[in-house]
Amino acid sequence: MSDLTININGEHVTANVEPRLSLADFIRDHQRLTGTHLGCEHGVCGACTVLMNGEPVRSCITFAVVADGTEITTIEGFDDDEPMAQLRQAFHENHALQCGYCTPGMLVAARDIVTRLPDADEDRVRLELAGNLCRCTGYVGIVKAILSVLEQRCS
Amino acid sequence: MPDGTSEFGIGAKVLRKEDARFLNGHGRYVADIARPKMLEAAIVRSPVAHANNLKVTAPEDSKGRFFTADDLSADCVAPIHVVSKFPGHKGSDYPHLANGKLRFVGEAVAVCLAETRAAAEDMVAATGLTFDALPPAIDMIADAEPGAPKVHDDWEDNVILDSRFEENTDAFKESAVSVTRDFRMNRQAVNPLEGGAVLAEWDAREERLVVHSASQIPHILRNALCECLGLSQNQVHVIAPDVGGGFGYKCVLLPEEIYIPWVAMQVKRPVRWIQDRREHLVTAANAREHHYSVTLHADSDGNFIGIEADIHVDSGAYAVYPHSNILESTMAGRTLHGPYKMSAYKVRSRAVATNKPPIVPYRGVARPGICFAMELAVDALARELGREPCDLREQNLVPVEAMPYTTITGGEFDSGDYPEALRRARGLIDLPAIRARQEAGEDDGRQIGIGFGCYIEMTALQTSAAARAGLAAIPGYEQAQVRLMPDGGLEIGVGVQNHGQGMETTLAQVACEKFGLEIEDVAVRHGDTATSPYSTGTYASRSMVMAGGAISRTCDVLGERIRKIGAHLLQCDLSQTEISSAAVTGPSGSVPFAEISRVWYRNPEELPDSVDPGGVEAVSGFRPEPDNSPFSYATHAAVVAVDPDLGSVEILDYVISEDCGTIVNPMIVDGQIIGGALQGVGTALFEESNYDAEGQPLSSTFADYAMPGSTHLPVLRLDHLVTPSPLTEFGVKGLGEGGAIPPPAAIANAVNDALREYGVEVAETPITPRRVLTAIWKAKQSRLSSVETS
Repeated sequence: MSDLTININGEHVTANVEPRLSLADFIRDHQRLTGTHLGCEHGVCGACTVLMNGEPVRSCITFAVVADGTEITTIEGFDDDEPMAQLRQAFHENHALQCGYCTPGMLVAARDIVTRLPDADEDRVRLELAGNLCRCTGYVGIVKAILSVLEQRCS
Repeated sequence: MPDGTSEFGIGAKVLRKEDARFLNGHGRYVADIARPKMLEAAIVRSPVAHANNLKVTAPEDSKGRFFTADDLSADCVAPIHVVSKFPGHKGSDYPHLANGKLRFVGEAVAVCLAETRAAAEDMVAATGLTFDALPPAIDMIADAEPGAPKVHDDWEDNVILDSRFEENTDAFKESAVSVTRDFRMNRQAVNPLEGGAVLAEWDAREERLVVHSASQIPHILRNALCECLGLSQNQVHVIAPDVGGGFGYKCVLLPEEIYIPWVAMQVKRPVRWIQDRREHLVTAANAREHHYSVTLHADSDGNFIGIEADIHVDSGAYAVYPHSNILESTMAGRTLHGPYKMSAYKVRSRAVATNKPPIVPYRGVARPGICFAMELAVDALARELGREPCDLREQNLVPVEAMPYTTITGGEFDSGDYPEALRRARGLIDLPAIRARQEAGEDDGRQIGIGFGCYIEMTALQTSAAARAGLAAIPGYEQAQVRLMPDGGLEIGVGVQNHGQGMETTLAQVACEKFGLEIEDVAVRHGDTATSPYSTGTYASRSMVMAGGAISRTCDVLGERIRKIGAHLLQCDLSQTEISSAAVTGPSGSVPFAEISRVWYRNPEELPDSVDPGGVEAVSGFRPEPDNSPFSYATHAAVVAVDPDLGSVEILDYVISEDCGTIVNPMIVDGQIIGGALQGVGTALFEESNYDAEGQPLSSTFADYAMPGSTHLPVLRLDHLVTPSPLTEFGVKGLGEGGAIPPPAAIANAVNDALREYGVEVAETPITPRRVLTAIWKAKQSRLSSVETS
């Protein structure tokens, strides 16, 4: 068992966990923050994407112990975040979600795109999204939503 | 018909009511629910495709935490057993846990329970299995013949059902031109991002089993639980909470939906099973596998005479509940004609049992395969005749003046202008411009091609048709429960299940259309057998047609009761009242719903003696009369660039011209079509559940199983024809599945058009670079050999 200290969504958390525990299982089962979803558990679909020290990571293939001493932000931790507020509204208006299962990971990835690549065009947005699978929407609404937020943030 | 006056009614682009919880991480899927003292389940699964004399050795210290088929038998748990009414259908049990014989890799063998999933998986690893491996039946064509390894020992052969559809075969003699081709659509996994999921517990206070499941069909699941576990309907409560996509995978019963609840009853603790992606890719590799040998006949002018075909559908090891294992083979056999008129028909279709997971009806069911075979045959005929494929289609599609139209096999097309959809798609994609571009050639050495795919979809399967097929779930009148709440808002209960289609919004729009309510004043409840009317659930593009129709009819019943109270309050005659803007209006003024509710609920002393004691809550239902189905249709058109050196295919343009009747919410209609189309692109270009000769799955991760992604369909333009169906409320037609049907046909035709100078015809999905290069190589070889022999 390993000791662990993490700041999750601004809250200081200490725990004693099995070394094999994934960050995703720690977030979901130990912290009961179930907005982070598991779609493949092998690092392809992106549904489990969270921010670690501000960078997107796949929580399903990140061990919880690797997150020791870091700041983790999950979909539940963006209440006062301007880009996330813009993205949520844009996803709503552009029908960028259907079943909602990929949405939390998609939003975290989208937030990374709009904050890191203010000049991204549609091709770049599509390329950046290639690490997140959505089975429902065909991505059209998602891409439109992200482009609209990029435009909003430029002006 | 909708008059377009309601801001939130039929036709309005209403933003989705259900979005907020998903955007904020507040969705609640089965895996998000935890119960006190809950145990996690992991499943021991078959490592081989075919074996007998299975013996299972439990891990050490697993007493009370490890269960096999012997435990189910000892408690008299009945297996799944689905037999179709089609004569000659071979039935078999579908054991929840394998009992002596193993019939596919991934078949469930034993359940391991532990405090965590990881610990339960440790138990799986510590379980011993011995068996005598048998040669597997893997090839649906070879293994349909006598002498093949038998999936079910007591069957004569592996043919589950051999159907023949023959009409007016003498007319084939009139044909002047015939083309014969073989087509194959390979096996896929459905892959909703949330896989199967079950959480079950015995509620000792309620004295009933509570099962949370990621299901499209909660009431049908309740039936199955009662049948298999010997419980009464009152002892089972099924809840489908938020469900992370379904696409048909969740409209059949999973064995886990029976044995996990049973195990929970044994251990008297909640038990949760969450399918992981590898489990899904291995055990749910169960869609689409079809093979067609097709001959399309025409006269010298290109008028279709008819079609002959021999179809095989790889239906896997078992029959799923309730839709059986012959839904696809019979649909393919009966409706291969697609949207075309013809006078002769001779199709044999066989459902074949193999040592693979049992087939399930994935979005479009058999139609992606049907459309692929028919539309590629049409293009082959066009090449034979030297005709523009688009023109040949236009000539042979059922024309608008023939509607309603009875097909060669007895189907009833209700309405629509099929040739117009084709013409509009052709105009939008600009066929002449593409032909000119092909003449000019590409600077990068790639070849450009254009392809079309036309389809029809019978939506909202009806009672008579389902009864004829002998399905275990026959839809009747769909019902809705509509209740005026004490504050004047509306609560609607439906038995269909929303898992991404936006029904919490679109079904509410129906009530808004009827009563002029604001959208936020209407709540739609679903996915819970304790609170909703019985329904066969969500599948067959039926929910808007059926549940929407039911809400409309129930609003008529409730509306009259509301008007009666309103007439009393307005001191006028009932006939002088009407409902608009959530109020009853009469000659002297109007009474808002909130006031009606106040009187009914809070001040009943003000009610007249003649009031309906049924109050302000009603249940009623809907079914088309006669019970025929509305047909949706579309033409898809694709422009692709094929690299003849790399074999890669890029979609340059994609156009859809479709008709789903009256559009309830244009935003959601577009979303359903686009999402379906990308799944169709997956079928066309990427997705394949491969097996080796031993029946071992080779596509068990997202690294081996390629899913369509954000870069694969960058351009897509939609165009809507609107021909209201005469059969339904508001003229709506089903829509959910159609987008996924024609992309394999349109894209394959475009690839073949691109490579026409090479003499190449791809005839198998997915059209991977390897398959394209192999086709080019074979065409070269055949040209070389023909040069040598001449």
